[in-house]
Amino acid sequence: MNTAWARGICRLLIVLMALAPYQVAQAGMIGTDQLAAPASQAERDTVLNFVTRGDVARQLQALGLDPADAKDRVAAMTDQEVQALAARIDSLPAGADAVGVLFLILVLAAIWYVWRGGFR
Amino acid sequence: MVRLERRLPIRGSPTNPRNARAVAGVFVFACALLLAGCASFWPQTAQLAEGLPPGLPERVELSEVPFFPQVEYQCGPAALATAIVASGVKVTPEELVPQVYLPSRKGSLQIEMMAAARRHGLVSYQLAPRFEDLLRELAAGTPVIVLQNLTLGEGWHYAVAVGYDYPAGKLVLRSGETERQVLPFAAHETFWKRSGYWAMVALPPGRMPATAEEGRWLSSIAALERAGGASGARVAYAAFLERWPDNLGAAIGLANAHHALGELREAERVLRAAERRDPNSAIVLNNLAQTLSDQGRDEEALPFIERAAAAGGPHAAAIEETRRAILERISRKK
Repeated sequence: MNTAWARGICRLLIVLMALAPYQVAQAGMIGTDQLAAPASQAERDTVLNFVTRGDVARQLQALGLDPADAKDRVAAMTDQEVQALAARIDSLPAGADAVGVLFLILVLAAIWYVWRGGFR
Repeated sequence: MVRLERRLPIRGSPTNPRNARAVAGVFVFACALLLAGCASFWPQTAQLAEGLPPGLPERVELSEVPFFPQVEYQCGPAALATAIVASGVKVTPEELVPQVYLPSRKGSLQIEMMAAARRHGLVSYQLAPRFEDLLRELAAGTPVIVLQNLTLGEGWHYAVAVGYDYPAGKLVLRSGETERQVLPFAAHETFWKRSGYWAMVALPPGRMPATAEEGRWLSSIAALERAGGASGARVAYAAFLERWPDNLGAAIGLANAHHALGELREAERVLRAAERRDPNSAIVLNNLAQTLSDQGRDEEALPFIERAAAAGGPHAAAIEETRRAILERISRKK
């Protein structure tokens, strides 16, 4: 038993534990998406969407898109997606880069240490 | 006591029996913590370690899935291109940059990854947050985009799972600049868990995810239909109805896709079948009336729209509008 290793692993586990709370967790035709929506809700959604689709397109422009791209992008979203973006576009994770080499090595080391015997 | 005091000068040495016992105690306690830690850090990996879920092969690798090495920050377009090309649609990461990349966030949002795949005629489906489902999709031949966090902060990263080796407990991914990254299940879970086990597939409309859940798969098809993919949605709804023939939403969707494509006869056929099965659905009655009216058969449409109006419910306003339009067409003909 290498105590330096044990200490290292303990520290890593403490760090990981501290991270735990951050887990993120047509005309006349009625559409499929209307099947479950109650009337007033459906109407409210329509009004809301009118506002939020434009809002989200503007938010995307503010994040560096040109207006045509922003509009096309919003057009491919569902109402729920538009609303989710409108509410928290700045807090949603944006997948970017594989930069966590140090973290990767630490985690691999911890896993190797704990599960030396292999997966089974 | 006396003896202990005599040994005071060398307290702290590992040869001290009491000290050794204390160290052993701490060691056992640390091991217990570590083991308890394993289960909570990698709960799904621990569950998988209990046995290969039934029906899954021991090893899978989709070696024909292409690899697009990412350029700076652009793992979103690279991962999405990987999945889209694997589904048989030609695209490059560069073409996807204006569709998913957000310059000032230096990254791509999950919602936009889902939406962009629809623009290429594919159905995007977010998997249930289960490691087993990830393996099932791979076993069915579908690469899976996963959102990982490789850092202690905001280091979000998209990678594409393309295989696994269950006996070795390893997952194979196309990731960043690495064509074949092999990660232990537990390591992948550590990174993946932080996105709430977020994973998506992008499939051609005729194919269904191996782990498709009825309601969520229907919504995924409706999302493609809404995004303008009526011909794709038509294929997807038809496949859906083969598996879940009694699903009213899918029948309405199939009819709407036919209607949008100008295939009014087919739309009518689907709606009539739905009406026989579900004679009180106001949506089916309204859409059937509209479809008949669009074929110039307003007199035939009238009894259906009257029945829809009598059924009432949440779509009363839309139904009333259809009814007024049909009556107007009839009066214009006279």
